[in-house]
Amino acid sequence: MKVGFIGLGAMGRPMAMHLQRAGHELAVWARRPESIGDLPVRVCATPAELGRCCEVVFTVITSSADVEGVALGTDGLSDGMAPGSVLVDCSTIAPDAARYIAGQLAEKGIHFLDAPVSGGEQGAIDATLAIMAGGDVAVLDRVRPLLECLGKRIVHVGPNGAGQVAKACNQMIMVAAIEAAAEAMRLAAGAGVDCAKVRQALSGGSAASRVLDVMGQRMVSRDFSAGIEARLHHKDFGLVLEAARQSGVPVPLTAVVAQQLNALMAQGWGRDDTSSLLRVLELE
Amino acid sequence: MKIGFIGLGIMGRPMALNLIKGGHAVTVWARRAESMQPLLEAGAKGAASPADAARGNELVISMVADAPDVAEVMRGVASAGQPGLVAVDMSTIDPAAARQIGEDLAAAGIDFVDAPVSGGEVGAIAGTLSIMAGGSEAAFARAKPAFECMGKNIVHVGASGAGQVTKAANQIVTGMGVLAVAEAFAFAAKNGVDRGKVREALLGGFAYSKILENHGQRMLDRNFKPGFKSWMHEKDLNIVMQTAHELGLCLPGSAATAQMFNAMVGSGLGEEDSIAILKLLERLSGQE
Repeated sequence: MKVGFIGLGAMGRPMAMHLQRAGHELAVWARRPESIGDLPVRVCATPAELGRCCEVVFTVITSSADVEGVALGTDGLSDGMAPGSVLVDCSTIAPDAARYIAGQLAEKGIHFLDAPVSGGEQGAIDATLAIMAGGDVAVLDRVRPLLECLGKRIVHVGPNGAGQVAKACNQMIMVAAIEAAAEAMRLAAGAGVDCAKVRQALSGGSAASRVLDVMGQRMVSRDFSAGIEARLHHKDFGLVLEAARQSGVPVPLTAVVAQQLNALMAQGWGRDDTSSLLRVLELE
Repeated sequence: MKIGFIGLGIMGRPMALNLIKGGHAVTVWARRAESMQPLLEAGAKGAASPADAARGNELVISMVADAPDVAEVMRGVASAGQPGLVAVDMSTIDPAAARQIGEDLAAAGIDFVDAPVSGGEVGAIAGTLSIMAGGSEAAFARAKPAFECMGKNIVHVGASGAGQVTKAANQIVTGMGVLAVAEAFAFAAKNGVDRGKVREALLGGFAYSKILENHGQRMLDRNFKPGFKSWMHEKDLNIVMQTAHELGLCLPGSAATAQMFNAMVGSGLGEEDSIAILKLLERLSGQE
């Protein structure tokens, strides 16, 4: 299949390569052409040009505004994509923004799936991402063979926006768990107990989690290099809190964790791993 | 002075009336024509649009709900083609939005002052609002005679946006203050102690505050009529939290308080006064 790809960052690059390796004909557009590097792909001059030559286009970029710009802006994908083609957005953006983009594309007969992913850079490299999709089931079924090149667990959550809601839920649980792990590690250290042993002991019991495994280990070995850049979680928490506000749903724990992330940003640790939440506690 | 006034809600109506009482020639505009009626009866002229409210006046004041509303009416004001006009917004909006509106108006040759208020409906009627202003010294000086008809404690805090920053700080203190008083009352009641007596005792000490005195009394009376609606306090705390997010500012108390207000809006208490936060606490602690 002719597949387009926009967003060759830590996540996007391995995802694009999986698609190509599976035999799909890959074309890309990049805001910074140098990010393409030595990828042997067709390079398009604008998103519109990319849209014209592809049946399915993937985007993996940072913010709601970026996705909107690339999809709907001047020389955007919607200027080039043919009716019946599909835009699969794997970015983490506001559910509202996903619904808006879907609506605008629908007017031109272009299909849209919000399909944010979880699993981090390692999950992207190993093609073991969890993919949570919002949109039409028939459209998802059409692109499912492509998504199967990227991840193991592909769940249709609901209509457009539902994938982003699921991703927001994912981020709430994950970052709160990182904060919980950081507080536990801080308590252990404060009480004069070996963090590594605490983590090891906990890993066999009810508190065991992937976060405690991976992030806990980073905290124990004080390796705060990203991983997942904390600034991205900080950005996501802005989306989560706005969604909670729009729904009138109280999220007291999320709100407090968001403040710890704000403190992390204030320390200039936004490009470090989110396990740096431990370092925030050490400031206090 | 010839003053245009835009937005005649709970706050705007008495504020405009106080300008008329102060001897100013006031032209009013409101989205809903019927809101203009009491002002017309009091001697105001009616305008057909925000631009019309600005035309021929030295000062134009807006008192509306949120940043997009302010931006919209100020676009109208700018289109009136009245260079030298001073535009004053007394709504509570995001400081960044206020700065942007100030820049847009400056391009049309109009000086802008952000001048949000504190003191609620009672203060608006009595003309005793606190007014916290941001903008140039010259623009503030020109708006000051109007401010003096509406408020008592009038402070020029700094440059454009400084008024809104101050108001956001005010909402942090009042938001947590009303939650603190409600929690103290819930605590007393669950312990079987009379809240009225607790209030009376606390008023003499370091816990004294206007919120304990006024809001506390209304909690005792279970008078949840607004006043200041919870959904508006929620909106204001959202401005605080968004600004904190953008700046990298850790505000755990405000965050917890904002979620309480979020829960109020979500559970149908949004139209009640912010002291209805007591009802939410009572629900959570099984004190209903």
